[in-house]
Amino acid sequence: MSDKTANYAKPRRTSQIGLWAVLRSVMAHKIGCAGLLIITLLLLMAIFAPLLAPYNPNDQDLYHVLEGPSKSHWLGTDDVGRDLLSRVIYGSRISLLVGVVSTTIAAIIGVFLGLLAGYKGGWIDMIIMRITDAFMCIPGLILLLVMAAALGPGMHNIIIAIAAIGWTAFARIVRGQVLLVRELPYVEAAHVAGASGFRIMFKHLLPNSLAPVIVAASITVGGAIMLESAAAFLGLGVQPPTPSWGKALRIGYSYLEIVPLFSLAPGLLITLAVMAFNFMGDGLRDALDPRLRGEGKKIK
Amino acid sequence: MKRYVASRLLYSLIILFLVSILIFALARLMPGDPIQAAAMINMDLADKEIIEDLRIQFGLDQPVYIQYVVWLKDFIRGEWGTSLGSGEQVYNMFMRRLPITLELFAGSVFWSFIIGFPLGVIAVLKRNSWIDALLTSTAIIGVSIPVFWEGIVLIYLFAVILHVLPPAGYVPFSEDPWGNLRCIVMPTFVMGTHGAGLLARYIRSSLLEVLSQDFIRTARAKGLRESAVLLTHAAKPAMIPVVTIIGLAWSYVVAGAFLVEYIFAIPGLGRMGVNAIFARDFPVIQATLVMVTANILLVNLLVDLIYGYLDPRVRIN
Repeated sequence: MSDKTANYAKPRRTSQIGLWAVLRSVMAHKIGCAGLLIITLLLLMAIFAPLLAPYNPNDQDLYHVLEGPSKSHWLGTDDVGRDLLSRVIYGSRISLLVGVVSTTIAAIIGVFLGLLAGYKGGWIDMIIMRITDAFMCIPGLILLLVMAAALGPGMHNIIIAIAAIGWTAFARIVRGQVLLVRELPYVEAAHVAGASGFRIMFKHLLPNSLAPVIVAASITVGGAIMLESAAAFLGLGVQPPTPSWGKALRIGYSYLEIVPLFSLAPGLLITLAVMAFNFMGDGLRDALDPRLRGEGKKIK
Repeated sequence: MKRYVASRLLYSLIILFLVSILIFALARLMPGDPIQAAAMINMDLADKEIIEDLRIQFGLDQPVYIQYVVWLKDFIRGEWGTSLGSGEQVYNMFMRRLPITLELFAGSVFWSFIIGFPLGVIAVLKRNSWIDALLTSTAIIGVSIPVFWEGIVLIYLFAVILHVLPPAGYVPFSEDPWGNLRCIVMPTFVMGTHGAGLLARYIRSSLLEVLSQDFIRTARAKGLRESAVLLTHAAKPAMIPVVTIIGLAWSYVVAGAFLVEYIFAIPGLGRMGVNAIFARDFPVIQATLVMVTANILLVNLLVDLIYGYLDPRVRIN
């Protein structure tokens, strides 16, 4: 029954734009396209790490420690003689995994709370949003360090901590979107047709908020990668011997004068990854949000 | 305006209260008893009975909510407790380091404006050209580049290869002004990069928005050059949203200080915070977090008030 009403007053839904159309718009966007390209390369690197890496990233060779770039070790070796190139290649796995998983958890929590706050309104909205504000005014990195210290090191705890910081952006965005459409006739129609609150939230309100959520997700993955490496850089990341860019940076930093690539190479990849997700977020925003599309183009 | 000020003030206080609960809870969640941690550092405290006495003395035998109320009361009175590591008054530790971090903040705001402002304006002047694309991506790179990596690259370039700046360390301005500036050039630049990127993007989009309005068309119709339209007519209204950037920059600098002061060995609040987290030094962590958040809230409050003053529409909501 509610399906009939949904047909009666059907809003233009972002999800109907279609994946290919979005992808095409992002590709047409110079900066977004660059981001997508870098992300694809990083993903391939993470998936095919065993094929690409010339050595086992954990094999130590104590006869060849802290060597500069050579034919056998393109980027040189680290403080226990492990091949830096292999460790950098394998490091992409941790960064991408932490980035994507923590963002997914953050998005699920944030979207749910945002929907609830926007749809229910009143004191539920009030409480959820004040908690969101409270979380938001503690700088993410500092909150992450305290939480990582409270939970203990390890990849799972880092993912939990980053998700516990990242959900706020999603909650705010989704609530804002819901408030925009909550009073529209199609939602009212769904009410009248007897749709449950749950159904209205997820079937009618959620699709309308997806566009900015996808943009935020892309940027949040970048932010999560940055946070993970920052925590690892300060010694609160994944446990050894797992290769991680942030940790390589931490150890390599003390050998900056002898083997500069030890810290410069993983740092460059962190930067590239964060940048790529921000670039893609930029492209996605222009592709998905018609209000912002080609800001400059209408004024010539 | 009075109503607006009162409502913003009330809002800030509510958030600060919520944050204080959050911080208190987080500090309690940390593994390891603070007294045990203190006992590890001062070996003579390892006696069970002495530890029990200390627990009572610190009020750790009380229910958590009473501990919270006591802590909050003391905190407001300026009694922030003593560091578990050094035994120093946390309040004194904090106040001694505050000027250093404030100096870094001033420096990073300087870099943000010097770099971000021209980038944003030029991008608008050359909009939709390859220069615009280049500047926009430069701005995104500025926002994306991790401070710790940028710091290491700069140290490598200017200290290891060129030998023109000290790699790390800090000298107070009062002792050696020139040495002080040499020490903070790199850290402030690193902290300012993010703000510069944000500022460039904000200025670009807010200028473009203003440029689509009628009074700009009139200015153009008068035959003004594009740069004159931009700088005399569009710049002023476009600056209003830019006020926001100062709030964002402050929050970012405070967080960035944790990494930047660590890399450049600067004895500011960030380094104190990181060390306290490693040592699980509760009183220091709590005080740092509360002050950092209170500061950010205060800056945000000021930004909101300035905003409300400049743009009367804001006050209505």
